[in-house]
Amino acid sequence: MHPIARVLRTARTAVLAGRVYASYRVLRAVDRFRGADPKARDYSALNERNAWLIYRNAVTLRGLMIKLAQVIGTRSDVFPPEYVKILSQCHDAVPARSWAEILPVLEAELGAKAGEAFAQIEQTPVASASLAQVHRATLKTGESVAVKIQYPDIEDLVRTDLANTERLCRVYERFDPQPLALMPLVQEMQKHLALELDFRREVESGERISELFRDDPAVRVPKVYHDLSGGRVITMEFLGGMKPNDKAALVAAGIDPQDVVQELMRIYTTMILARGFFQADPHPGNIFVNPHRTADGRVIPRFVLLDFGLSKELPDGFGYGLFNLMFALMTTNEGAMVRAFIELGFETKTGDTGSLLALAKAMNRRSRGGQFRGEFTDEVTEDLFNTIRENPVVKVPSDFVLVGRAFSLLSGIAHTLGGQANVLNAMAPGSADTGRRAE
Amino acid sequence: MSQAAALHPSRLEFSLEELLASPKLDTPLIAGGVRCHGGFDGGGHYVSPRTLWRNPAVKAWQEQHLATSPTPLVEIPKDAVPPHLPSVAQAKLLLKEGVREPMVRTLTEIAIIEGFGATIRELPVPPLSSFIREDVGGTALNHLTGGLFEAHARDEAGWGEEGGHKQMWEAARDLALSKPKVPGDILMAIMGRRGNGARAGRALPQFKEEVERVLGFMTNVLIVEVFAASTFQWAEDVLSDPEVSDAPKDAADMVRNIRADESPHVEYLRTALSEISARTLIGEDGSAHNGHEVVQGLIGRSLKAVMHQRGAARREQIHASIRASAKGIVKDVEDLIRRFDELETPWQPPARYAA
Repeated sequence: MHPIARVLRTARTAVLAGRVYASYRVLRAVDRFRGADPKARDYSALNERNAWLIYRNAVTLRGLMIKLAQVIGTRSDVFPPEYVKILSQCHDAVPARSWAEILPVLEAELGAKAGEAFAQIEQTPVASASLAQVHRATLKTGESVAVKIQYPDIEDLVRTDLANTERLCRVYERFDPQPLALMPLVQEMQKHLALELDFRREVESGERISELFRDDPAVRVPKVYHDLSGGRVITMEFLGGMKPNDKAALVAAGIDPQDVVQELMRIYTTMILARGFFQADPHPGNIFVNPHRTADGRVIPRFVLLDFGLSKELPDGFGYGLFNLMFALMTTNEGAMVRAFIELGFETKTGDTGSLLALAKAMNRRSRGGQFRGEFTDEVTEDLFNTIRENPVVKVPSDFVLVGRAFSLLSGIAHTLGGQANVLNAMAPGSADTGRRAE
Repeated sequence: MSQAAALHPSRLEFSLEELLASPKLDTPLIAGGVRCHGGFDGGGHYVSPRTLWRNPAVKAWQEQHLATSPTPLVEIPKDAVPPHLPSVAQAKLLLKEGVREPMVRTLTEIAIIEGFGATIRELPVPPLSSFIREDVGGTALNHLTGGLFEAHARDEAGWGEEGGHKQMWEAARDLALSKPKVPGDILMAIMGRRGNGARAGRALPQFKEEVERVLGFMTNVLIVEVFAASTFQWAEDVLSDPEVSDAPKDAADMVRNIRADESPHVEYLRTALSEISARTLIGEDGSAHNGHEVVQGLIGRSLKAVMHQRGAARREQIHASIRASAKGIVKDVEDLIRRFDELETPWQPPARYAA
């Protein structure tokens, strides 16, 4: 990317952040000046305006901005509905690149003309997201496939955004009197995005996840056509379905949204805690739900998992440590939470475990006043990060952040569906076998 | 006589706070640096948590039941309890050979499964009057959601800054085996434990599902608690042996403490099930059912299922664990498995529980 373009990109991001922040501050200042309570104001119009502003910037700037918008678009429990509604379009409805822009990538990767590789390929994509867009096609043998093609300039955009993020972190660490150690997280993100851009790795990860769920009919991963795939293109079986946060569609198909929430939690706890390898990007654009009628007439959800670019292998023992933390949280056992924090690699500034205990107590305090319900409430992951900020916890293991993000995305889906997952049930003996037993 | 019983020897109604109250302790129980529940009185005797009122309460409800009902307290037949697999001799063989992983795995699984006992507090209990015809005032049954389930849950998974049985079993493991590495696939082994391949049919179709769930859950938990007696004895025998345990006294004491805590669980569950046995249950269509027959039917069905789940699958899991961990430790792994199998305690389910 040209240096001037890079500076402009950085400036545009900074101006956007400033505009959104200032728009709220100004209104609050006006209210206070008039003697009105700023909390009583209806911000929906401003929220909508700002959400569109972010959306427009995200689709123009692309790269990490789309990733950020995707997260906001999932967190209906944290962000106002106007933001969620508008930015959720970034999951799979980012304005697409033209066929003329995309075709050279496809043909370079396949080493053949599109017309030679496929019987037919649609020039209008069926989905487009942060790094790539997907076109429907038909193989010469007649199978219907999805062809995922990377944007031509995405690598450059991502590199620039990461450099900007690193700069912002350095500024933050210099000026915050008690900064969180964010640099390891940025470095982790740099590593992940580099991996995400290599579609060969994505194919390997998808096949690994498919193998993990070989005996579980609740989960399906599209089959990949290796001879029509490469570093920037993946050709895979075309599978459809409903979005997991489309409550109306789920209900219309006879699926209980609560079953979707509970099953997703089971699938992710199986991957994260028991298998130590997981698809770390469970936003609604990466999961499809289909109805399945069992022998006794019940309708249960079946899932298609997509996009394994951000998949993560967890270190040996991490799943057990995380299980202990989640179990202790769900059973209101603060002492066990502190030990689990230490086991997972959390560190306090002074080495004193007092802040970890405070963290555990704060998390428990918010989980329904200490009254156990075994539910993964919407607030839990958010509380964790808020409390970490309030306490001098200086080291948060980077794996924990990625796992926390995955659970945040899942709790966002749960919130949209109006359900809550029972984590203890999802982790319970025999739970990984639930998909098969549901038959 | 306990402090509470001395004050109110004949009470049958207790508040939630009372059933969760612990006796005064002289010294807390700290194991391997972990603060656990319970502790020691002035005489150095272990005192279980949350038993200040719970123990005398259960005793009073039992006496009340025996005085007013012709049915005895529910018993789980001792001959239905299978011996622990691995046996004491099998576990000691592996430890003496330096193959520790199967033992680490077994103790960790016990800890995790004990911890899941906390889910009892989540059990939705429909209004008792909706399925029991007679009065239930002054019974254990009437206190299930009023403290008994909650106390049970706190005992199993811990509460606040105190560890429960999950943490106590982990402490016993860490003491005896010097904080061993827990196998990375332990959770997959537990979460992926195969069910029977299909949803179990209704055991009590004459009742509403939530009634069946409560009765079935309580029966299963009682059976698990009674079966656990053989696990306690096994663990105590293995972990107290200085030849194979790095902390024979402390580790075995920890198991004894857990065992002491489990006694109130068995007693309140059998009391509540006995109280149900002595009453008339109301079916979904309003029909009347003999409580004794319903409870005995459930016990028989659950025993049969639990007894036949054990054995072959468990043996296979242990063999796999030996094969995965003994390589490089013993010369001939298959020979070790053969010697291991020879030490298994033979057992057949009683003929009346034949599949």
